Amino acid sequence: MAKTQKALFVEEAIKRRGGISVMAKSLTPAMEELGVNVFDSIQESATHRSIKREREPYAHALSLVNDHITVKKELIDEASASYNDIANRLATKLNWPLTAIKIFPQGSASTKTLIRTLGNLKFDIDAVCEVDISKIEAQDPMAFFEAIGTALDDLDTVAKRRCWTINVVDKPFYLEFTPSVPLTTVPLNVSGLNYSEQEFVSTALAVVDTPSENWKTSNPAGIRDWVNRASDRSIVRTPVLEAMDSVRASIEPVSTQSVEIEETLRVAIRLFKRHRDMCVHRGHLSEEEQPISIILVTLMTTCYEGLADLIDDGSRMPFVHVVDALIAMAELLPEMIPKFPDLGYYLVNPTVVDENFAERWNTDNGERAEAFRTWCGLLQADLASIAALKAPEKIMSKTLEVFGCTAAGGPNGGNGNNNPGPRVIPSPPSPAPRTSGLA
Amino acid sequence: MSFELAPLSDALAKLLVEPATRGSKGAVVYRLMLGELPASRAISFAELILPKGFPEDGIARIRLPSDAELRVPHVERGGLLCIDGDPGPGRGLDGTQRVETLVGKFYTEFLDPWRNGDLDGDFAKEPQNYWGVNVARLRTNDDTAHRVWTVDEVPRKAQVREGLLINPGRLIIAGDGDNQFVQRLVASLGHRAKQRVRVIIADIPISYSFVPDTWPRSIDALLRLLRARLKPPDYRRFIEQILRRRRSREHRVALFRNHEGGFAFVLPGGPPIILQEGNRHRARRPHSNIQPLLVDRIDPMWTVGRDQIPQVSARQQKHVVVFGAGALGSPVVEQLAKAGIGKITLVDSDTIETANVGRHLLGAQYVNYGKAEAVANNVAQSYPSCIIKSYNGTAEDWLQSNTLKDVDTVLDLTGEPEVRWHLNEARQQHPCKLIIGWMEPFVAAAHVCMLTPETLWFASKASTQDRLNLLEAVDWPAEVIRQVPGCSSRFQAYTSVSAAYAVALVSENALRVVDGEVDSSKVLSWVRGRQFLDRQWPKLTYRDWATGAEQHVGVTLERPIV
Repeated sequence: MAKTQKALFVEEAIKRRGGISVMAKSLTPAMEELGVNVFDSIQESATHRSIKREREPYAHALSLVNDHITVKKELIDEASASYNDIANRLATKLNWPLTAIKIFPQGSASTKTLIRTLGNLKFDIDAVCEVDISKIEAQDPMAFFEAIGTALDDLDTVAKRRCWTINVVDKPFYLEFTPSVPLTTVPLNVSGLNYSEQEFVSTALAVVDTPSENWKTSNPAGIRDWVNRASDRSIVRTPVLEAMDSVRASIEPVSTQSVEIEETLRVAIRLFKRHRDMCVHRGHLSEEEQPISIILVTLMTTCYEGLADLIDDGSRMPFVHVVDALIAMAELLPEMIPKFPDLGYYLVNPTVVDENFAERWNTDNGERAEAFRTWCGLLQADLASIAALKAPEKIMSKTLEVFGCTAAGGPNGGNGNNNPGPRVIPSPPSPAPRTSGLA
Repeated sequence: MSFELAPLSDALAKLLVEPATRGSKGAVVYRLMLGELPASRAISFAELILPKGFPEDGIARIRLPSDAELRVPHVERGGLLCIDGDPGPGRGLDGTQRVETLVGKFYTEFLDPWRNGDLDGDFAKEPQNYWGVNVARLRTNDDTAHRVWTVDEVPRKAQVREGLLINPGRLIIAGDGDNQFVQRLVASLGHRAKQRVRVIIADIPISYSFVPDTWPRSIDALLRLLRARLKPPDYRRFIEQILRRRRSREHRVALFRNHEGGFAFVLPGGPPIILQEGNRHRARRPHSNIQPLLVDRIDPMWTVGRDQIPQVSARQQKHVVVFGAGALGSPVVEQLAKAGIGKITLVDSDTIETANVGRHLLGAQYVNYGKAEAVANNVAQSYPSCIIKSYNGTAEDWLQSNTLKDVDTVLDLTGEPEVRWHLNEARQQHPCKLIIGWMEPFVAAAHVCMLTPETLWFASKASTQDRLNLLEAVDWPAEVIRQVPGCSSRFQAYTSVSAAYAVALVSENALRVVDGEVDSSKVLSWVRGRQFLDRQWPKLTYRDWATGAEQHVGVTLERPIV
């Protein structure tokens, strides 16, 4: 069976890496199994069960981290609700027909990989404002961008490279608001690579790149669909049976909290993003040079799809446990960024023509590329150091420390579901106001 | 009067664990009910402490065990909880109400939010405070150093550089000994800087301030961080380089900083620490783990205006010449140095006499010293951001051997007509901004003339009329004028308190001129009212332009200079 493009790419990455580390169990080439079908082998199954048992405390700890860092859906919905208000505002202020304006989430809010920030910093909820330019007067990109900014001018906004950031008072998030038009409605000079998959091109957009004062391609809905498509696949062995196994084998009652197999890709993206954020807060990476989220999402989704293709075509075995899949992805990441002699680093957006997510890697003296490699090394080392532990309580505390969730441990940490019980708090009168002088 | 505990017990029933116990220094201590907390948020106890003499003396506090420090936000060194609690005396509440307020806030503003994870971000709100707790917890008598002073901006990229360990001050200056600012800083430290030891510093910019969850806690974690940020040759240099001949060990310091503050560590493996104990010196082994250090900035942007005076960086490049180091000149020079002026030349030929002591910047210990040199040395020692040179001679002497080329602004604070004349000549060669400041008798008025480079004091060679007198506010009788000039005469026309008005007027406006905020020539005058004048001398008359001041205590008036 002919290998897919992504499968070949990942296979090459595995070769460059010199195989997948022994820590990541399985994913050995099927040929090496000497024709024995592991699914039928009682002995293999026993080995897998023992690996699973070994892995379970790790998975449990990662699942606690995942719970802690995942931003609750209600919060995203709350942010999405404010989009309507903004659509109305644009329609009124710019005299655009409401039907020409479509606002929907993009970025991590749409791929369900939004994570909590450290230190209670506000997080960004990105939205795309797609305006059907054929229904309004055609305008040049900067005028279009500015018009939207003007319509938002009584809000607390700041213009960024391609979006307007709206500070929503009293909410833990910013809205990042990206003006866009359907790609087909504007003229474009496409000079970069065209690896886009037909499946996604219908949602492609043009956004305004303010530094170059020109249109740039983008496809937030395509990215969302692509991540969804990949997430639906599995790279871990017999999820249903294993999940039941896990319940039986587990020492702790974790079944409901354990990492959901069908969420492997999204959980991996969240955990890796959190690890990157921790690295920035720990000083290992500078904020400016850290690998941006869309790069992580693209690399990991590509890697995941490639692995799934390799497993589907029978050239590799599925992973025994989701933890092994995570370790393998961490090992493959540094091999996943293509560098071309003429174009330099070029990380294709697979859903649209001519968008290079690694564009800035080519103009910074290699600082971002180096920071990315540094981070991959730290991530691999951290995952390996947890895997090297045996005692479940050590695995737990090390995992929480690595991902900066030490207060998340315990049965109901950090979820806000704790009831302090009945308690009568006195309510004395307020003290007289304090007056202060300046010295 | 002793505090009645019974009403308190009633009011806070089910929140206090009875009975109360005795704490240190006669305090009454109650444990507080904490309810159930998740394991990762456990707090073993919380004590309500009513100090001896409460409620009249002292305020009630809540203390947590010391293992809560740096794990739970808002816990100070020693476990005291730092929340807005007991309002204290004089705010209209009795003792019981005050304790109720404290305990109520403990539950609603501390314990419940902590349980729910709502305080988890609070370490990041005051990172330097918690770093201070960490440094204090680990501080010993054998520490290599106690703090780091940074002298420049946060570097854009991680770098390895040299610094100086200053002993016995146990202070590390994060700047090369060849750096002139560092040299001036060391000079300022006097006896605290008897010994200077070169040290190696990894100077690393960070995007976020460290909090307990993110700062490195072991040598392994620190080295991992350094490896991530330093390029391999820099990392090797930091770990291996030997700076000093015939030494095998060096002090190595890791410094992390951003615009909010800094964090530093001394690495283990450095040279022994030499401690002076009485007359003996003893060598102590350096620590075997990383030792955290406080980090302070002493760069001019910080010392002058805590980063809120953007003009400082431009002022650092300016050269200002001040003529006159007397009652007006000496404090003005100090103000200019404090405000971040980078270079000052101070010219005066006088020596300090006993009669000057009451109104000069410098006091009795400087009597018989040259004014210019003494002021320059004194000001330089306090404000190392300023290079200050002195010239013991007259303005005429100085102008003969120097030009006003590259001088941004000249201040003439001598009040002497010859100086104004010589300066006029020099400014025709090299136009520069000029400030002339002086006080009228009794400091009944003070003036600061601000001239753009194009405006001359004497408009032409032919003009012999000095306009200074014309600009004054009061017609002074000859008897007053005869007595004023001689500093050493028995006559004392004003004290330093009065001169401070003039010092402020001249200094503030000189800075406006240096900062380029004054685009036309003008004179600003501060004029006192009639009541003050009458107390000094009978029947003094105001000039027409100044009569507006008469009815007030004092006013500032602005006039253009053509």
